[in-house]
Amino acid sequence: MAHAAQVGLQDATSPIMEELITFHDHALMIIFLICFLVLYALFLTLTTKLTSTNISDAQEMETIWTILPAIILVLIALPSLRILYMTDEINDPSFTIKSIGHQWYWTYEYTDYGGLIFNSYMLPPLFLEPGDLRLLDVDNRVVLPVEAPVRMMITSQDVLHSWAVPTLGLKTDAIPGRLNQTTFTATRPGVYYGQCSEICGANHSFMPIVLELIPLKIFEMGPVFAL
Amino acid sequence: VPEPVSESLKLLGFLDVENTPCARHSILYGSLGSVVAGFGHFLFTSRIRRSCDVGVGGFILVTLGCWFHCRYNYAKQRIQERIAREEIKKKILYEGTHLDPERKHNGSSSN
Repeated sequence: MAHAAQVGLQDATSPIMEELITFHDHALMIIFLICFLVLYALFLTLTTKLTSTNISDAQEMETIWTILPAIILVLIALPSLRILYMTDEINDPSFTIKSIGHQWYWTYEYTDYGGLIFNSYMLPPLFLEPGDLRLLDVDNRVVLPVEAPVRMMITSQDVLHSWAVPTLGLKTDAIPGRLNQTTFTATRPGVYYGQCSEICGANHSFMPIVLELIPLKIFEMGPVFAL
Repeated sequence: VPEPVSESLKLLGFLDVENTPCARHSILYGSLGSVVAGFGHFLFTSRIRRSCDVGVGGFILVTLGCWFHCRYNYAKQRIQERIAREEIKKKILYEGTHLDPERKHNGSSSN
């Protein structure tokens, strides 16, 4: 989860998120250099003693500052498109879970091997145990295996919601009447948090998502289904 | 609850030089390239303003060049690490079984 006042991305828990972090670093370096150049130009503009206002006939400069941004955009677009298509790859998921957004909780359905359906409500402050996270912890977590491709089918029962888990690089809209699909493969066990990411009413901030990722061997023993 | 990490140096307020792989390396080499290019230009031409422009241009070009070079090598290294990790896992899993790749290789070479 994020620590207080965190601005940067959370550590990656899936290969896609690792790629996204790499792309973010790449784009940020290009942005830094452009900002540096602009600041330098601004400094020169503010400190020049030149008063000539002849600003016509600068064909070479105009050519450079047309072609160079185009090249920069290509340098940014190519990795971006690569990751975009990577997220759409079919990776043969071994497990499918449905996630249904409601006002203001999530319902999860594990229907592959049985009919497990449960709701996931945020823990109210009065019900928090010492060590629990305010506004993040829920009564029933989504338990999933590590290193197994998982397919999430996301929809909504009422208004727009969005199922997001930043550390996995996931954010998928929950739209009533539509099934959206996202897949992921987690690379390390742990408890990971997310929050609803589409305004959905008074308690939009109070319907978090909590994933509990456990080793595949333990998951296969069926702790999820022993409710 | 994770504690906030200590404040890291962020150039222009957003480029985290300490925690971004290759950033510190690129910025340092870029600064060196900027000083060399700018100062060298000044030594040859004695033009201050133009030398500053060359210095800034040198900084941008050297930083960009080092950045791409370092990131390419970093990506290659990560791929190699991933392959090595997978192979070690496979070796542990399949050692002694009929799926052991070393056994298949030794069997084919002895034939």
